[in-house]
Amino acid sequence: MSIVLPVLRDALRRGVIAFVVLAYLTLVGLPARLGNDAPLIFALLAMVVLGLLLRRAEDCRGWTLLVQGFLAGAVAGVLTSALVGGLAVLVGSGVRLQQVLDKLTPPNLAAWLGVSPAVITRNQLGIIEVVRLALWLALAGVGGSMLARLFRAPLPIPAARQWRWLVIALPFVALGFVIAMGDASFPLVAGQRSTVRLLFALLAVGSGMLALRAAQPGLERRLVASALLVGLAVLPFVLDQFQNAVMGIVFIFVMMGLGLNIVVGYAGLLDLGYVAFFAVGAYAYAFLSAPFSSPWFSQQLTQLGLPTTQPLLSFWQALVPVMVLGALGGVMLGLPVLRLRGDYLAIVTLGFGEIIRLFMVNLADLTNGPRGLLNIATPQLFGYDLGNPRDMFILALIGSGAIAFIALRLERSRVGRAWIAVREDEEAAQAMGIHLVRAKLLAFAIGATFAALAGQLYAARQINIFPENFSLFVSIDALALVIVGGMGSIPGVVLGAIALKGLPEVLRGVDEYRIVTFAALLVIMMIVRPAGVLPADRR
Amino acid sequence: MTTLIRASAAQQQGKPLRLAKRVLGAALIAAALVRAISVSAAESYPLSFWAAQTVNGLVLGGVYALVALGYTLVYGILLMINFAHGEVMMIGGVAGFFGLQLAAALGLLGGSSLAAALGLLLVLSFGMGVAALTGVTLERVAYRPLRNAPRLAPLISAIGASLFMQYSVLLIFGVRPMVYQRPPLIADGIRLGVVFIPLTGLIIFVTSLLLMGSLFVIVQRTKLGRAMRAVAADKEAAALMGVDVNQVIAFTFLLGSALAGAAGVMLGLHNGVIKFNSGFIPGLKAFTAAVLGGIGNIPGAMVGALVLGLAESLGPSALGIPAEYRDIIAFSVLVLVLVFRPSGLLGGGEVEKRA
Repeated sequence: MSIVLPVLRDALRRGVIAFVVLAYLTLVGLPARLGNDAPLIFALLAMVVLGLLLRRAEDCRGWTLLVQGFLAGAVAGVLTSALVGGLAVLVGSGVRLQQVLDKLTPPNLAAWLGVSPAVITRNQLGIIEVVRLALWLALAGVGGSMLARLFRAPLPIPAARQWRWLVIALPFVALGFVIAMGDASFPLVAGQRSTVRLLFALLAVGSGMLALRAAQPGLERRLVASALLVGLAVLPFVLDQFQNAVMGIVFIFVMMGLGLNIVVGYAGLLDLGYVAFFAVGAYAYAFLSAPFSSPWFSQQLTQLGLPTTQPLLSFWQALVPVMVLGALGGVMLGLPVLRLRGDYLAIVTLGFGEIIRLFMVNLADLTNGPRGLLNIATPQLFGYDLGNPRDMFILALIGSGAIAFIALRLERSRVGRAWIAVREDEEAAQAMGIHLVRAKLLAFAIGATFAALAGQLYAARQINIFPENFSLFVSIDALALVIVGGMGSIPGVVLGAIALKGLPEVLRGVDEYRIVTFAALLVIMMIVRPAGVLPADRR
Repeated sequence: MTTLIRASAAQQQGKPLRLAKRVLGAALIAAALVRAISVSAAESYPLSFWAAQTVNGLVLGGVYALVALGYTLVYGILLMINFAHGEVMMIGGVAGFFGLQLAAALGLLGGSSLAAALGLLLVLSFGMGVAALTGVTLERVAYRPLRNAPRLAPLISAIGASLFMQYSVLLIFGVRPMVYQRPPLIADGIRLGVVFIPLTGLIIFVTSLLLMGSLFVIVQRTKLGRAMRAVAADKEAAALMGVDVNQVIAFTFLLGSALAGAAGVMLGLHNGVIKFNSGFIPGLKAFTAAVLGGIGNIPGAMVGALVLGLAESLGPSALGIPAEYRDIIAFSVLVLVLVFRPSGLLGGGEVEKRA
């Protein structure tokens, strides 16, 4: 008895956890999305969850682990089938559950049970389908116990030295696919050609960052880097409009992420209101290039006798005032919060971001309120209009390249080392003679300048901008891409932007789940790998 | 250690800068006062208007205070801002909505006033229970594994948890706002001279005072409360003295989240509606209140919340600016307090080290 009881207790605990995960996914309506594959995918998921839970089991002799897995799976199965079956019967007997729980539609429950929706609406669900579900999950538990063994074994660390060429080749292979798929005769999925091609383009850029890390420092890395640059330069010319548009947004976020990376990654100042500078850049350019959209601004111009129907400054001329305003904004935010650290700083900057947004909405005289600023001029060069997606992507690439270069030089400069010292320990840094005020203000100012540039490009790309383009979520997106990629790491920022802004475009279908997935990812990431996918290497 | 850091910070700032700061702070307060006096002289709202706004501010302050206590409790023990606390409150409100529907369906709320009062009490405790469960789960899943992680990790995890809760509620219950049907027992109000006090407001204020009182008793007079204070003072030493630190932290989350759940139900009753993002801005403001009173300080949270509630309801009319700028007033108060008096109104001491 003394052995049986703890085993049962553990099985109950693990089963309930797996059940909670499955129940949650049912409530948010995932089975309906997966359709016929739902039982299989959910069983695999249960396998992984149970495997992770069983990894810590004390008694790991072969058959005990199998029994434990089976028991846990059975608990999860019984609970889940009771829930799903019960809900299905409720729905079938005419209870309008959907009025309360939005996603509990007949197709959703039917997908789980592997029957057609009609069976549920007519209330013809048999006991067999419900038992089948329970058995299926119990089986998943057995699978989980096998997985647990795998998880328990030390992670096979790939011998990076020998295999690095495979990683380095990856982006070029992906680029090859992208180019090949541009040819109409390429034998692939006619309907989704564009999306698949976008996926490969994103893969090429993302794996390029991994390749950069895999290459050995020195000549080899420089060669790989130049080959990758050539590949990047080719990309805009082989992609179509839609793909270029997505890549453009990705790289505008790279520009922003690189700026935030200086503030958060190098100097360790957690800024949750970073969108404010993005907005400053976008609105500053909008005022300069479309003064007619702002009632107050156009009135002032008329009084001065200046024409209001055309841009005051061109895109290129506007770069200077936008950068100056961005830097000023950074200093203005930085000054009052110099003494705050960590959490306090995060909340205050968040408050600042919200204040800026509220001003954008409420100062209707200046910003035209929620109606936004319209008809912003696109950049021109030698008479060519650069407003199309391809040229915008190229501009974003050039912008990101320039910012990445500056960031890299800064990182290795005296200032960069000062930032990192401040991040690690403020008191120690100060004791070593670092001027805290100067270091922090510089970080805020430079980060804000980059964000303002990204904002200007964004405004030129969107043509019309509205306050809701600059919500808190832009800040959170930018922060998340820095963190997911790896704080303080430039390739990490690119990888993060690809993962967080690019992949959702490919996965249009699961757009609804984007924020939840990403939120769960933030938590898991912090627990499993707090340093990010491509953490900065310590020198 | 603390004194050393304070001294160095003061040295770096230098005397002239500090003096400038004081002068600037005084000037800001004076400017606000002058503006308020000149505006009130020009606009001359009737007394009943000011009285109604004051009542409104006190009610709002009561709700903020309940949420602010959760921030303060957690901060006192873990030195972290539970960014997802506002969402715990929202989930309490959602649970309260369903509790209210159920109580109405059972006919509890329409009958005698005793039954209705009992029903409301049940709804309130249901909201508190669900919120407490949410809070404890949150701590277990998102915070406990990170107790020894780098400084920013728990905060980022909290942001993730906050978004996760908001959008899960949106996905599960759909976009329809949950409209609280106010039971007839508390739909009315009482009139005191020129002031009309809605009954919900009165109930909120009294209940929050009662809950705060019981929290004070729990923290100061019970064994668990003593353990909480011990863990807040020194985690390792408390563990050596036989305190189960994990349990105490879970209990702290339970207490704070139950209060937030109560606040969620009350906010629903008062505003009449709860949505997936209803917790975010009130959460932020409650945090402001906790900072205003001095974070980690229980009476401070209450005072800060009442001051903030009053500032928010009286501020726009007193300063003669549109009511849409209410949120800006709250955030400006936060920024100004952190800049000029980071230890808060009632706080003394250690903020420098902790912040």
